[in-house]
Amino acid sequence: MVVKYLLAALVAGLISGGLVTVAQQARVVPLILEAEKYENAPAEVHEHTSGLNISFATKAMAHETSAEAGAEDEGGMLFGVNRLTGTIMANVVTGCGFALILLAASLFTGTAVTVANGALWGAAAWLAFQLLPSVGLPPELPGFPAAELFDRQVWWFGTVIATAIGLYLMVLRPEIWAKIGGLVLMLVPHAIGAPQPADITSNVPAVLAAEYAVAALATGLFFWVALGLLLGTFNARFAKMA
Amino acid sequence: MAQASISSTKIVSVSDRFTAGILALLVGSFLIFGAGFAHSNVLHDTAHDVRHANGFPCH
Repeated sequence: MVVKYLLAALVAGLISGGLVTVAQQARVVPLILEAEKYENAPAEVHEHTSGLNISFATKAMAHETSAEAGAEDEGGMLFGVNRLTGTIMANVVTGCGFALILLAASLFTGTAVTVANGALWGAAAWLAFQLLPSVGLPPELPGFPAAELFDRQVWWFGTVIATAIGLYLMVLRPEIWAKIGGLVLMLVPHAIGAPQPADITSNVPAVLAAEYAVAALATGLFFWVALGLLLGTFNARFAKMA
Repeated sequence: MAQASISSTKIVSVSDRFTAGILALLVGSFLIFGAGFAHSNVLHDTAHDVRHANGFPCH
């Protein structure tokens, strides 16, 4: 029976990963490609300004190059695949990973994911995994200024855990202390605050950033609702086969 | 909620539920870490657009 649950999660993850790949092509991926045109623009901008700025830009670029040379590997695509195939692979892996985590939450709380509540499970997971972390770390385009990567990853992880436990306390526990405690827990990461960059100037146009924030959040919501519904559907279908 | 937990414990025992839950959580977290958080440049480049789309901290 346990194997059937795991299988249901993997199938739901595979399909939702495929679906979100299609959805991302509508807005998210075109906006990322557009932002990449501005990502390496500083060198060009500085060339047209005063001599002082040129020397500053050169120093900054030299620093960047040396930092890249010291990295552990050169980068490039896994198995040499093209960009779209890489995105499909990553979406499928992410879909299966998130489906398994959703299943784990359902098993720990003893609340089954069904066709009837699948969309709500998905929406709750979207709050925990995307919307609330976005309050501190807004959906990020290439070329955005950002704080130290590891610090942001730690804050993101902590926010997801706090939001997930907070949602459990607020939604699934009847006690009044749980509801208040859950709300407080969800606010704690935001009271601490996400790591922010010292300098927030960017060459990426503000309109692109605004469009991207909406596109990423909307596409994420679509993914999570689809995943919740599919997981509910396959749970029911595979349980009947038992 | 009480009804939901009764119906799911009918199918599997509590200890089975937690074993499966821990297994699912570990495998799921491993997949998310690999696609979204590993500092390997190859994994970063392959999953680049997906990391941005999901709001995983990137770059």
